[in-house]
Amino acid sequence: MKEQLQKHKQYLLTGVSHVIPVIACGGILIALAVTYAFQFKLLNPHGGPDFTNAPWLIKNMALIGEKAFQLFPAVLAGFIAFAMAGKPGLVPGFVGGFIAAIPQVVGEKNASAGFLGAILIGFVAGHLVNGLKKLPVPKILRPVMPIIIIPICSTLPVGLLMLALNMPIAQVMVALGHFLENLQSGSQALLAMLLGAMIAFDMGGPVNKAAFFFGAAMIEQGNYAIMGACAAAICTPPLGLGLATLISRQLWTDEQRESGYAALGMGMIGITEGAIPFAAGDPFRVIPSIMIGSMVAATIAMLGGVGGHAPHGGPIVLPVVDNRIIYIVAIVAGATVTAVLINTLKKLTEKPAVAPAAI
Amino acid sequence: MKFVAVTACPTGIAHTYMAAEQLEKTAQKLGHTIKVETQGAMGIENELSQADIDAAEAAILATDIAIEKPERFDRIRKVQVPVQAALKDPVAIFQKTLAA
Repeated sequence: MKEQLQKHKQYLLTGVSHVIPVIACGGILIALAVTYAFQFKLLNPHGGPDFTNAPWLIKNMALIGEKAFQLFPAVLAGFIAFAMAGKPGLVPGFVGGFIAAIPQVVGEKNASAGFLGAILIGFVAGHLVNGLKKLPVPKILRPVMPIIIIPICSTLPVGLLMLALNMPIAQVMVALGHFLENLQSGSQALLAMLLGAMIAFDMGGPVNKAAFFFGAAMIEQGNYAIMGACAAAICTPPLGLGLATLISRQLWTDEQRESGYAALGMGMIGITEGAIPFAAGDPFRVIPSIMIGSMVAATIAMLGGVGGHAPHGGPIVLPVVDNRIIYIVAIVAGATVTAVLINTLKKLTEKPAVAPAAI
Repeated sequence: MKFVAVTACPTGIAHTYMAAEQLEKTAQKLGHTIKVETQGAMGIENELSQADIDAAEAAILATDIAIEKPERFDRIRKVQVPVQAALKDPVAIFQKTLAA
């Protein structure tokens, strides 16, 4: 059972790893086009961006970004199924995921089954293809299995299932969107703290990716707050630890100070993994410090209305973030909290004999 | 001893390469030789040829995702570990592989 779960996690992560660049492409192109539209007051009556009179390049940037987003569930489902069943998994996965992207009208809103539908249908497609591969087939039929039988016998049922599930899952997505939009600031803070803690906990590992992917997937649903909170939380562990080595140099070894510079660099480009060299040697002091720092950063970002349009974090995504000042404040605050915490913990728990020796 | 290894993490920009570096360093420290292929966001780099794999005693797969071209490793003794393991305790991976 545990092994099965482990395997399914691997399948899911394979899909995620292929879809991240797709979200990045779509998210950033759309964000840039929307920024332009707001800058030059190209708005529709509802106050949203209107690209009809936008310059050729801007209009097409929005269109291309939108197309990338439409591809997102297909790529996700396709590569989940691919990880499970190899090449024959691709067709039912792609088609099933593509169907999950079909817009549904829920109440007054347009929604699609999106990433939830894609994950589900990707798994279904993978299992189905694996089942079909095991069917005993007479030798003369064997060549037609991979090019006719499996593609059709997997894609037709997968497609029908996804068509049937589109509406209920889209309703779930709309409910989730409502829930997130209507969170009171207290619950918003709680959600942000949870996201921040998850982002920092394993520094780029599976727990981090779960929070990150939730944020990334919500971009496609038009909710940027989750990613905004994640983006701030992503960079504070390496930034905070790097900062800590700069503030109290005598608390750190030469090697750690060296890692400190590397960590600052990685923090700037939003790579949480920069914190790993510190955490590997000293998990019980480092991990709580970075978790609290990331929680602070995420909470400030969430309550300050920071929106992230790219599935990535750190100062590097500043151009595609809403409420940039708050974003910077959140990062600086989170990094400072981490730095002060880890240095204080080190001072309190380390024998002072070690520290003055370095002066 | 001669090893081959593949590293791959979901994002493919940091863990993959850090794990590869750790495996290389550790192999050197323990007196082994190793060739590490990375399957990051750029795709396969430092690709292992079938000859590389056939010449090795064992393969270390430090991967969180399904890897590309897995059939190359059909005929070799292999140990599957999470990417994190290569960062946290690479020595243990070599011990595990030697014992397997």
